Amino acid sequence: MTEYLIRRVLQSVLVIFLITILTFLLIHAAPGGPTQVMLSPGLTPEIFEQQAKNLGLDQPIPVQYVRWIGDLLQGDLGYTFKNHIPISDLLWPRIGNTVILMGAAWLVSLLIAIPWGIYNSTKVYGLSDQTASFISYLGFAMPTFWFGILLQQQLSLKLDWFPLSDMYTRGKEGNIGDLFMHLVLPITVLALGFLASYMKYARASMLEVLDQDYIRTARAKGVKERKVIFRHALRNALIPIITILGLDLPMLVGGAALTENVFNWPGMGRWFVEMAGAREYSALMAVTIVTAVMVVIGNLLADILYVVVDPRVKLGKQGGKAA
Amino acid sequence: MAKKRKWWSGLLVLSLVGVLFTGCSTNNTASSPTNAPAATEAPAASAAPDATEAPAADGPVDGGTIVLSTFSDIVNINPLLVNDTASGDVAQFVFAKLYNLDRGGNVTPEDWSLAAELPVISEDGLTYTVKLKDTIKWSDGQPITADDVVYTIETGKNPETGSPLISAYDKVKTVEKVDDHTVKFTLSQIYAPFLYSLVQEIVPAHVLKDVKPTEIQTNAYGTDPAKTVTSGPWKWTAWKQGESHTLDADPNYWGTVKPHIAQIVYKIYADQNTEVQAIMKGDTDHISAIPVTQVEAVKAAGTVDIIQKPGAQYEYINFNFDGKNFPDGYGLFQGQKTRQAIAHAVNRQGMVDNILKGVGALMNAPFLPDTWADPGDAAVNYDYSADKAKALLAEDGWVAGKDGILVKDGHRFSFELQYNAGNSRREQVAAVIQQNLKDVGIEVTPKAIDFAAWIDQNVTPGKYQALLLAWSLNTPDPDAESIFSSKYFPPAGQNSGWYKNEKLDQLWIDGYSTVDQNERKEIYKEVGKEISTDLPYVFLYQYGQAIGTGPRVHWAEEDKPEPSLGYGQFFHAIKWWVTE
Repeated sequence: MTEYLIRRVLQSVLVIFLITILTFLLIHAAPGGPTQVMLSPGLTPEIFEQQAKNLGLDQPIPVQYVRWIGDLLQGDLGYTFKNHIPISDLLWPRIGNTVILMGAAWLVSLLIAIPWGIYNSTKVYGLSDQTASFISYLGFAMPTFWFGILLQQQLSLKLDWFPLSDMYTRGKEGNIGDLFMHLVLPITVLALGFLASYMKYARASMLEVLDQDYIRTARAKGVKERKVIFRHALRNALIPIITILGLDLPMLVGGAALTENVFNWPGMGRWFVEMAGAREYSALMAVTIVTAVMVVIGNLLADILYVVVDPRVKLGKQGGKAA
Repeated sequence: MAKKRKWWSGLLVLSLVGVLFTGCSTNNTASSPTNAPAATEAPAASAAPDATEAPAADGPVDGGTIVLSTFSDIVNINPLLVNDTASGDVAQFVFAKLYNLDRGGNVTPEDWSLAAELPVISEDGLTYTVKLKDTIKWSDGQPITADDVVYTIETGKNPETGSPLISAYDKVKTVEKVDDHTVKFTLSQIYAPFLYSLVQEIVPAHVLKDVKPTEIQTNAYGTDPAKTVTSGPWKWTAWKQGESHTLDADPNYWGTVKPHIAQIVYKIYADQNTEVQAIMKGDTDHISAIPVTQVEAVKAAGTVDIIQKPGAQYEYINFNFDGKNFPDGYGLFQGQKTRQAIAHAVNRQGMVDNILKGVGALMNAPFLPDTWADPGDAAVNYDYSADKAKALLAEDGWVAGKDGILVKDGHRFSFELQYNAGNSRREQVAAVIQQNLKDVGIEVTPKAIDFAAWIDQNVTPGKYQALLLAWSLNTPDPDAESIFSSKYFPPAGQNSGWYKNEKLDQLWIDGYSTVDQNERKEIYKEVGKEISTDLPYVFLYQYGQAIGTGPRVHWAEEDKPEPSLGYGQFFHAIKWWVTE
């Protein structure tokens, strides 16, 4: 297991390194590169060049990359080009805000989806199952920004039950109750999306397990249905769900740009879009790296949880999985 | 918004806004120069309701917070570097300018201006002597003196700084301190628009004088509120990046007119739609530009007052005269009659009535209607007439091809009309143009492109067949040499359509080489005649932004927002007040 972990981590570092190069090149290849966008087209070419020179943007791309990666290895994420603000000052608070929003939405949807999905697997095509199906389709089909605006119109503008947007009311920063009120609408939007997929996975996974021989055997032996479900089936049914959760982990950091935009949530997703528009590639690189690291961690966690949840899964010396 | 750089920055702002949202954004600001106070009259209010808030019965009250909204954060508010709308917005609350503009767009020393009186202009029009008030102070208590002005202009002019101010002061030969409160500018040539260059914020020499010009951009002055010494009625006290700015009234402000409003919160939203929701909910008190498509909905909500009239922006179709942009190098727009035909074919009034909902005014030359340089009837007006268009096209040798599209010398009259993606007004206009021109046998392919890519790959290098775009005028001065003169071809200039007309080239120079406004008026009349005949652009219309204000905000009639001016959405904000 340890050897496997070390190998996976090393692989991941290589992957992240390659991602940095690729991202750097792609961003530079994009039309309206950083200098073009950050510097007003109103300037004469001379001012343009001078500004680029003052900011070190006149250096060849490999030189800029090496300088950037050098800083990164020392823990320095660099500065924004437009106004020379340290990226880390901007990045970490936004990650925190996004984790609060996405984490809460994720938790809420899990708490609803898994029990509900499991319940529905025992009463296939019942009223509850059909209701869940309907909600799932709604969740898949409804554009989040549209649903968000709809909620804002009805529950905030019309009924005045919830705040329209932002994370806190001005002057109430840090107030948990205020934060809670601001979370309700965006969580509803996000949770509907999560709910749809988690519920489907839970239900499908459970149905598959319930169809297995050992369940039939247990039932045949007269084991109580409740026990069959919770003791025998559930544990195995959770495995694929855990994989999905592990893969979804980076999303908690990356955020949902559209929802953050609609609710003016000061998180990563919105910031990433903003930085992309501004071709602030130091910021984009920072986000990319953080996300890449989260993907790696998410994958590792999924694998580890596999072992924890299902004792049949053993990690072989080659790093493969032997069942 | 943008400061001193001419029209391009206007384009940047306009189009950026267009990229992100539906309408087009606000502003323009003073800059380039002029001579005598250019008596730019504010365009007449349109039919749109002009719902100015009535002052509270008991008059102004001191204190309270106003929440302004925007959809983009600042870059840097150091006046040496300001070059975008958001930075300009914040800067204009915290920095005093040498001169301000009155409602008519005239340069004037207000109570809150640094200058005590209008500049003394020498007989030969080459020297401008500016007298500063002797009471003016920085927020750290230091006096504001001629040294600060000299430092600002010299640093702005220094190419090493990379300051956008360079274009406002490149005709300044010397700037000298006469005494602590007097500065003398000497120009290298007569340049009438120069007066507008003096509508300019100043930076503190005592804070910045030891910073190397090449390091001004990375210096914390302008990005760190604690290190940004200011000169205006409010101080910059906090900045939460991407979220908000807090400006507090400066208790030691030097002006005799003190601000009523104790605190300004400048809130940043993700986009204009979110902003509109916020003002309808009452989360914010002021929005500078409601998208055209949402004005009706906001009006219907009934809580927001809207001021909407044509502003300092106009839209146009720009033809490209460089044959390289066309198949076989055959420029489709070479014929003057062809261009005139297109002007006739396009239903401009229909656009104003249906797309702008009447808040717009037709234009025939690059001068805003009802300003002193408006050539009026001297410019040719092309009425909407498919018949006239067809006749002109026939005269120019175009004949209908097999598929109904006109053909000349074996070339089909088919071209691509580029504009920026995401601007709903422009999308609609492009569709009308496509239909109108189809009616006379011209095939148009509208093409929306992402703003950044478009500017980089098409506009700046002048690589397109035709553009649909707008200029936001930085200054009420009519000088537009940098757009239409062949001195300003790409990549260095803004004449991106490669238009060359020697008569016009000279007229622009004549226009700014005298400070006599009557003389200038005659020259611009001639410009209007020539340009509307030759038609490098089809001038479409002047349009406007809808400014929305919530019920907490009050002003006296003479202090209400003025859409026709740069920063006009905050016109005389020092005199506004808020109630709870």
